[in-house]
Amino acid sequence: MRPDVKEPGLDLEKLYAARLHAVRVRPYLATALFALHTVESRKVPTMAVDRHWRCYVSPAFVDRTPVEELAGVWVHEVTHLLRDHHGRSDRVARERGLTGSGERLRMNIAADCEINDDVFGDGLPRPEGAVHPEMLGLPEGELMEDYLRQFQLGPRTRDAGWLDCGSGADGLERTWDLGADGAEGLSAQEQDAVRFRVAQAITGRPGSTPAGWRRWAEEAFHPPQAWRELLGAAVRSAAYGSGAGDDYSYGRPSRRSASVPGAVLPSLRRSPPRVSVVIDTSGSVSDAELGSALLEVTAISRALGGRRDLVTVLPCDAAARIVHPLCRAEGIPLLGGGGTDLRTGFAAALRARPRPDVLVVLTDGQTPWPAGRPACRTVVGLFPRARRFRSWNEDDPDHVPAGPPEWARVVDIGG
Amino acid sequence: MPTRVSSTASPSTELDVAGALLALLRDTSTEPRPDPQLEALTLAVAADLPVLLWGEPGIGKTAALTQLAASLDLPLTTVIASVHEPTDFSGLPIVGDDPSEQGVPMAPPEWAVRLVRAGRGLLFLDELSTAPPAVQAALLRLVLERRVGTLVLPPDVRIVAAANPRSSAADGWELSPPLANRFVHLRWTHDAEVVVRGLGGVWPRATLPRLAPEKLAEAVDVARRAVCGLLTARPALVHRLPSGEALRGGPWPSPRSWEMALRLIAFATAAGVSRDVLSQLVRGVVGDGPGLELLAWLDRMDLPDPELLLADPEGAELPERGDRRQAALEGVVEAVARRPERARWDAAWALLARALESGAPDLVVVPATTLAGLRREDWDVPASIERLAGVVSLSRRADRAGDRVAAAAGAGAGR
Repeated sequence: MRPDVKEPGLDLEKLYAARLHAVRVRPYLATALFALHTVESRKVPTMAVDRHWRCYVSPAFVDRTPVEELAGVWVHEVTHLLRDHHGRSDRVARERGLTGSGERLRMNIAADCEINDDVFGDGLPRPEGAVHPEMLGLPEGELMEDYLRQFQLGPRTRDAGWLDCGSGADGLERTWDLGADGAEGLSAQEQDAVRFRVAQAITGRPGSTPAGWRRWAEEAFHPPQAWRELLGAAVRSAAYGSGAGDDYSYGRPSRRSASVPGAVLPSLRRSPPRVSVVIDTSGSVSDAELGSALLEVTAISRALGGRRDLVTVLPCDAAARIVHPLCRAEGIPLLGGGGTDLRTGFAAALRARPRPDVLVVLTDGQTPWPAGRPACRTVVGLFPRARRFRSWNEDDPDHVPAGPPEWARVVDIGG
Repeated sequence: MPTRVSSTASPSTELDVAGALLALLRDTSTEPRPDPQLEALTLAVAADLPVLLWGEPGIGKTAALTQLAASLDLPLTTVIASVHEPTDFSGLPIVGDDPSEQGVPMAPPEWAVRLVRAGRGLLFLDELSTAPPAVQAALLRLVLERRVGTLVLPPDVRIVAAANPRSSAADGWELSPPLANRFVHLRWTHDAEVVVRGLGGVWPRATLPRLAPEKLAEAVDVARRAVCGLLTARPALVHRLPSGEALRGGPWPSPRSWEMALRLIAFATAAGVSRDVLSQLVRGVVGDGPGLELLAWLDRMDLPDPELLLADPEGAELPERGDRRQAALEGVVEAVARRPERARWDAAWALLARALESGAPDLVVVPATTLAGLRREDWDVPASIERLAGVVSLSRRADRAGDRVAAAAGAGAGR
């Protein structure tokens, strides 16, 4: 569709009235909306942003769009930038080897899906034809990277060209972009500062913002850490405590001593940590969760000590189904099972001779804990439990089991 | 056979040809290119703070250190931590004639003696994370106390350490929180474009920051005002150990790291480096969240003083960027609210009118509304308010859009 031959000038008053409306209904985005630098451009189909926080606006589009819908477009475009869709598109393209403008169009659509399911409503009408996950037959509330896996260009996406959101959305340079050297762009640090102010505004009043924005604000500068990494950190630092690990000692003179008469040199002694894994499942942990957690622990301890006979596993009843085959396959010694009470598991693990240096407990936490600190460092891998799995006591329906004790390092294991 | 003949006939020629080829390969040139991470490293080294570079192996940390040493005119001493024994850093105990009388001296290794004799140099401790814990413990004493055995390194010796990110090495090392708190953590990454261009024969040459002697007093003043101002407003930030296990091994805020931040701001101000560089440094000592708050505070210090703006509204220079301009205007209105006087109120109106003439009108609306609310009964409406007619019509237009959305939502709900 070609715009009319007689093109109107950019109606700045209308554009700014729309931004004012957007700021009124989304006060937490005010900083970001005001930080955008407006550039009039006749090459842009509608409105588009670039990675330097410039907003390109088509005069004809402003002319034919109602103020309230323009406000929605303002919010939509600034959301691309706040959520770093261009950077994420570049990363996805690199990781998955996606090339070509067709893939970039898919990224734009996926990013639009991520935005549009919670950005409109509550004062901002959804523009006619805006991409919505529903139109592609996809569920709401997912991230751009997830949507990108779930659809291909086809009849369903034919009308998705509603918005060409520019290089700020999918990372592909457009002909109208002013580029890095152009005027009035925001540097990486300035962009971070704007994101930070918006995140603070959202966490400052959590009640009135949609869940998607709250999640973004929480994760914008502290992305949640993968449990594997956390579990690895906990096991490693437990294993590297005094009395365990690969270290120097003066217990026996170094072989280099001969070449330095008169000097006493320490020698490298290898005393790899012994790791005991206690598994308490009470029947509610899935095999997949348990299997991956157990494999992770053995992989970490093997990296520390290099010998699999130093890893022992102590299953509590119900876990036998998954634990036995895994231990057989990995060559891990298996101790006899205990009761379903985790305290017997602790006791059995500590009874073993030689005593373990590190105790890793995989549990859903619905269990009584030992009263005192055990004689070795303890790492607890906690499986998240949905409410319906919680143990429930007829006599005491409000009873909430105690969480893991203070002396244990706790890592939440999920997904 | 022919090979043998030629090699015995002219061995030097063969090597000469190889030498010529090597010389051709070495023949590369450099081009100036801004490199924020190298600038950040230079500033931290100039500020005499221990730096820890986190980076994957093989991405040019050593090359960067070589360039840094050349530009600071310091001889570079590289010590690969993982191939040394602890005594190489803590000193070799030498048993003398009468240990109970004279004690056992700790003899320093040769490289340390040479470094002390030279009196100056750049000491690069590579592969910190793969060295055994006892070596790391000895190294940390070297980094933090600048001691090797009985030798104390001269003040002109600067120390930089490098480590692989914990995620990339299964046997990686966890920094204990007190140690992590003493380093400037810099993430070292490579730029694919730079590498490709470098392999093509042109390596980047960063322009390194130079301290301007005439700016020193001002720099200290700026740094003290920024850090003290922020910590007065946010006392909770003075000391905050991160709750997450893996975050504690990185930068976090404490009185010590705030002092480091203060020093870094002073150096960055005196050197006039960009905010991007300062951002890396500040976030590298106090962590992302507090670092961004400090940067936001610095941004606010850059805004024009409200009192100066009120003193001369017609000659006032307002920031160009929308969000900063709005923050400046809100600061002015706040200043009037603190000390409401007729003349100040009038001056604020004149200022708003000026803002309207030189920038987007929508960001004037909120300050104007607040300012109108400050009016006392005996104050007449100033003449300059006429110039704000555009704001009123813009605001009405946004109001109407809001009404339309509300009406549509009402109709939708009624159906």
